[in-house]
Amino acid sequence: MSNLSTPTGGCAEATTAKEAAFRIDYPLSAARNTRVVALDPEAEAMVRRASELEWGQARFFSVADPGHTLIETTGVPVDLDEVLNDTNTVVLVAVEGSNAEAVSTIGAACKVRGIMTAGLVVTPGALTSEALLHLRPHARILLVPADEDDLVELLRATRA
Amino acid sequence: MLRTDINELLTQTGPGTPMGGLFRRYWQPVLLAEELPENDCPPVRVKVLSERLIAIRDSEGNYGLMDEFCAHRGVSLWFGRNEQGGLRCPYHGWKYDYTGQAIEVPSEPETSSFCANVKLKSYPLVKLGDVLFAYLGDPAEQPPLPEWEAYRVPEGQAFTSKRVQECNWLQALEGGIDSSHVSFLHSGNLDSDPLFKGSRGNAYNKADLKPSFEVVDYEGGLLIGARRNAEEGHYYWRVTPWVLPNFTMVPPRGDHPVHGHFWVPIDDENCWAWSFDYHPTRQLTETELEAMRAGKGVHSANDEAYRPLANKDNNYLMDREAQRRGETFSGIHGIALQDSSLQESMGPVVDRTKERLVATDAGIIKARQKLRKAALALQEGVEPVGNRPQDQKVRSVAIVLPADQSFVEGIGEAMIAKPGVPQTTV
Ligand code: FES
Ligand SMILES: [Fe+2]
Repeated sequence: MSNLSTPTGGCAEATTAKEAAFRIDYPLSAARNTRVVALDPEAEAMVRRASELEWGQARFFSVADPGHTLIETTGVPVDLDEVLNDTNTVVLVAVEGSNAEAVSTIGAACKVRGIMTAGLVVTPGALTSEALLHLRPHARILLVPADEDDLVELLRATRA
Repeated sequence: MLRTDINELLTQTGPGTPMGGLFRRYWQPVLLAEELPENDCPPVRVKVLSERLIAIRDSEGNYGLMDEFCAHRGVSLWFGRNEQGGLRCPYHGWKYDYTGQAIEVPSEPETSSFCANVKLKSYPLVKLGDVLFAYLGDPAEQPPLPEWEAYRVPEGQAFTSKRVQECNWLQALEGGIDSSHVSFLHSGNLDSDPLFKGSRGNAYNKADLKPSFEVVDYEGGLLIGARRNAEEGHYYWRVTPWVLPNFTMVPPRGDHPVHGHFWVPIDDENCWAWSFDYHPTRQLTETELEAMRAGKGVHSANDEAYRPLANKDNNYLMDREAQRRGETFSGIHGIALQDSSLQESMGPVVDRTKERLVATDAGIIKARQKLRKAALALQEGVEPVGNRPQDQKVRSVAIVLPADQSFVEGIGEAMIAKPGVPQTTV
């Protein structure tokens, strides 16, 4: 059954610049409670620099094995459970691939809570690394190799 | 979300714009060879990168692409007579050869040298396979001819079509690299489309509707790997290459031909979606060609101006019954129109300050970033990638790999196009 053009039609007609201009103009709120977790010391430096920019509700952490406690960039330790309670996206940043156990602790905790996980493997030039291997099972999306810009761009683009 | 100025930078490709400058460093498909079918055939209008041009094929078979408008008083040369050795403006008879050089100005005395000083701006136009490619940039920077495998295989192994898409090129490109819409929007087509059905990969596709993604930065652009569960301890990977600025391929299915796209700006509010199918090692069958001509697979059924028959004026022939039955997810028939209907509905140039991206959009985020950086770097004199032969000898891949293997390592040479070697596919 085909449905020929209706004069007051719907979505399909909103395609001219003029029509597109009728889109209601309202500010989009930041819907993300993004948590960024550095998995090793080099990643930590990167995450710290990113944390100094201006964000909506994003919070930034480092981690110690085996991952049950995260450390806020201010130095305050927080329970992983507590951090995950009010979040819907976790971004894991790794350079070296140490801390495999923490990755799986956090990954598993995100999985049971249905939290979206993204992984950035910041190992310059390397398309294969330990870090990648550890992150793969736990990240819904991985950027390989990522650089510092990618972290900032990802957070900006997702209104973190 | 993207700032307004970055959105403008990425979407505007006219002369003098940074992204226009970037595009002008690449050969782009501009016509199907069938549009200039024989020597001295009628000229064809070409609008590309916001320039209005006229294409001709002269008496010797030379292809030419030049300013659409006569240097005398600006008449459109589309009305011209394609005569022995050139195109004559019907108004006062000025005649141009395929390079845009005026070769006759009848009002001038026989011995006048006036003509020698009149030359229309023109660009090289070259036939590769069934497509004519043009280069609109500085002649001094002209890259080697394209090496895309689809245009380098023996005759009979490739088929290309094009359709107008009524929105900015970047919306179309973003659809091409956005692997996450595939298990959704196109879910109805895996079993029904003759150019897709019957591959083992389809079973993995349907068994795992929540793929994970890996966006891998590589020299020519990005490799986007979509990973699904396969047999115990294994993943099924579908790897989509994006080569700067506007080339994408779709991962193969079984022994079906491999396909892909160029998303070419016409102006800032319209683009050409070029769609090709080829098989690296065998002739396309008559059945396959018939399906392609009929608008199956990545192709579409179009009118004589290459506008899809299902378009925004008829609501894309929306089929609510098929949508209800789940036969097509969106109610629109055909992969190509499923994409373009939605991308056109976003408006001619979507306002990216109003987006709400999610982490799985990382491929798109990264591609925008690479495009912006390349356009800005070019202004500083840094040569872009994607126009070199090594960037273009690329293939999409579908493969099953052990879970602990990186897909880049696993596919190895499979993503490099090699004459006579079949594609890696499941
Ligand atoms: S769900 Fe992707 S655009 Fe609406
Ligand atoms: Fe699509």
